[in-house]
Amino acid sequence: MKHLGLLVTVLSFTVLAFGLWIPFKALVAQELLALAWAETQARQMQVRPWPWADTWPVARLNFQSDSLQSLIVLDGAHGESLAFGPGQVFGDQMNAGPTVIAGHRDTHFSHLRHLGPGSSLELQSRDGQWRRFRVTDTRVVDSRFEQINTSALPRDALLLVTCYPFNGLEANGPLRYVVEAKAVPEELVAAVVER
Amino acid sequence: MEGISLWLAVLLLLFVHPLYAEASESGRENAGELRFVDDQGRHLESATLMNADYQVKVTGLVADVELKQTFQNTSQQWREAVYVFPLPEKASVYGMTMTSGERRIVGEIREKSVAKKEYDTAKSEGRKVARVDQQRPNLFTTHLANIPPGESIAIELSYQQPVRYQSGEFDLRIPTTITPRYMPGEIVHDGPKSWQSGWAMPTTDVPDADQISPYTVLPQDLGPGSHQATVSMSIRAGLPVSRVSSPSHRLTNTWNGNTVEVKAENGHFSMDRDLIVRWAPTRGMAPSAAVFQEQWQGENYLMAMMIPGLETQQQVARELVFVIDTSGSMAGESIRQATQSLLRGLETLGPDDTFNVIQFNSQTASLFIDPVPADGNYLARARRYVGNLAADGGTEMAPALDAALNRRGSETADGVQRLRQVVFITDGSVGNESALFQRIKQQLGDTRLFTVGIGSAPNMHFMREAARFGRGTYTSINSTSDVERPLDELFGKMQSAVLTDIQVDWPDAGANQSAQPQRIGDLFRGEPMIQVVRGQAAQGEVRVSGRLPNGSVWQQSLDLEQAASGKGLHRVWARQKIDGLLDARTLGRDQSEDGQDQTKEKVTDLGIQHQLITPYTSFLAVDKTPSRPVDSLLASDNVPTLLPAGSDAGMLRYPQTATVAPLLQALGLLGLVFGAAITLLKRRVCP
Repeated sequence: MKHLGLLVTVLSFTVLAFGLWIPFKALVAQELLALAWAETQARQMQVRPWPWADTWPVARLNFQSDSLQSLIVLDGAHGESLAFGPGQVFGDQMNAGPTVIAGHRDTHFSHLRHLGPGSSLELQSRDGQWRRFRVTDTRVVDSRFEQINTSALPRDALLLVTCYPFNGLEANGPLRYVVEAKAVPEELVAAVVER
Repeated sequence: MEGISLWLAVLLLLFVHPLYAEASESGRENAGELRFVDDQGRHLESATLMNADYQVKVTGLVADVELKQTFQNTSQQWREAVYVFPLPEKASVYGMTMTSGERRIVGEIREKSVAKKEYDTAKSEGRKVARVDQQRPNLFTTHLANIPPGESIAIELSYQQPVRYQSGEFDLRIPTTITPRYMPGEIVHDGPKSWQSGWAMPTTDVPDADQISPYTVLPQDLGPGSHQATVSMSIRAGLPVSRVSSPSHRLTNTWNGNTVEVKAENGHFSMDRDLIVRWAPTRGMAPSAAVFQEQWQGENYLMAMMIPGLETQQQVARELVFVIDTSGSMAGESIRQATQSLLRGLETLGPDDTFNVIQFNSQTASLFIDPVPADGNYLARARRYVGNLAADGGTEMAPALDAALNRRGSETADGVQRLRQVVFITDGSVGNESALFQRIKQQLGDTRLFTVGIGSAPNMHFMREAARFGRGTYTSINSTSDVERPLDELFGKMQSAVLTDIQVDWPDAGANQSAQPQRIGDLFRGEPMIQVVRGQAAQGEVRVSGRLPNGSVWQQSLDLEQAASGKGLHRVWARQKIDGLLDARTLGRDQSEDGQDQTKEKVTDLGIQHQLITPYTSFLAVDKTPSRPVDSLLASDNVPTLLPAGSDAGMLRYPQTATVAPLLQALGLLGLVFGAAITLLKRRVCP
């Protein structure tokens, strides 16, 4: 009986440690990625954050939820990359056309729930330019029956995708939460900056 | 110890609480958002499997096809299946049967709106009912309601299609899937978003966009064994056939006297590309003329085919404009085929020719402002430009047509009068075809437009009609290994003499009135003149005349008494007549409200008389006895089509975006609470 209690406690601590390791890794990785991003911008080339990484930073995403969120976006959503940062699943290097970024709902993109129509987003590409976006819509989709028709996306669209529901336990759920944003025209941004 | 477990319990409560809140919330939202949710809020997988079987009988120049679509309901619920599918661009559908177990119900032709009403009634009463509509000349929809759980229902369609014969080779094409089409214009619907369930929303330019854009999926997204087709073909060409080949599939051929039996090598194939079968007569046996006749409802129908022997090369300076489609639907294999075609086209330029290259997706861009001479420097620049093309964006075809067909002056800088030819390289995946045809017709002038169909499932209706309105001809590329032959054929035709002003004179005066198509377009090298007439007995001679580019008259006559008996000629005739009527409307020859109704009336009459599906008539098969109890629910299922082979999924799948962290944390905390409880309990029991 004594051993059972101990066993359950130790096992639980292990499981809990693994559970806490994921958000911890996500947090620490962002710090490392910030360095790689700075280097990317300085050298204008792909910089791997650590030698064995299969991805590299492509953009920085800022948005205001309850606090300012500043995230380094990685290339692709394959393999392990989402564990370290949100991944750009569609869009070119200079973020010229439509962009789709996906992130984990329990780590980087947990704050997406605070975004609503009108919230502003900022995306910095490798050349240091910031593009400003305004959220137009948020909605829930079922990934089994819907896909993103990339050819139908307007050129100034930014889509942020994460899993839904936000507090769900199931890791392979079919629902996705999509935040749609539209670029604020350049002149407006310039005007805002001048003021 | 008690303190710790209390804290843990509080922690657990905090953690579990939002889960409850979220569960009730999501249940409410889904019901409104998603289409595939049943009354209990459970998600339903797409549960209708579809398979097709093609029984093709070729007699002379007409192929008669029995297409059997089997819909299998693998769910526990009654189902309605909606399936958008392609048929060959000149197919005339003349029969439909619904088979459910032992029951066979023969479909009848109805006016479209009547068919829809009867379908809806039968569907709500729980009777098995099927309806087949035409959306575009090569795009049809099957609606099939009340498929019992776990059972399957088959829809058999009978249609015939003409066999293309050119340059001594017969060519039959059976499309099996659709390249997703681009819908230009603004969305005219304030309902759900444009990519809801993959179905496009109606736009100002394509009001029926939602009916012609099925969900396109990858094979792994389908139910097991779905979207597989079998084919069995027998070719009776009426002459000795030496060779049967297919650039798209592996086939096995067996010669059986005069008939060739063709089957797919593995028995079945995936419905992700067009099936193309070609056969050629034995060398020296290639026919240059043929006559077929048929009696139907006391009337004679005659079909005459004649190939003018045009071999003379044309030595004139040309201005070639290459237009290449670089829209998103061309991504993957298609853009490689297109650039290869364009490079091949650049090679055919002569020293006196001028050229330009135009690419279009959402925007149109041309390489040179004005056409430039085909010299080494410009050609090298063009090659580099073409090599760097990438496919992305929409398919805004109208501005590209404007850019290609409009020219500033009829003469170029050096004062040489040039023959203007436009080569349009595209997959034709647009929803606003008839508006584009109208544009071609209006702006053509003395330019000629040639189309090259690209990809595994190009819109051949677009290729054929755009070329017809553009007074040119068309071809298609099926794979990067099969680029040379069709293109050399096309470029050869473009360089050789064209027969214009073709007049056909039938012996019976009445027959000339009923001849279809009424106007024969210009004929290029190796292309046959085909006309079908009603009310012409198989006697006398038909005379065909035309004019060659040098002004001389070409004439030939054909003895009608040699006519062999043919099948289904009246349908070929009716289909041609219907096309003629609809053409007149496309080109706005009768714009009036009255004219619209007249066309509709005439087409409906022809459709009902000849039992054909038209834009205004549909096939309907209704079971008399209800099979679904009225209190059990009916779920609707849109059967997807496969993504054409070799094309990149323009559709992006949503990535997996959750970790197991919350689950592990919850389990960990729960475990700790248990652990604490056990320790606590133990201390109480045995202090």
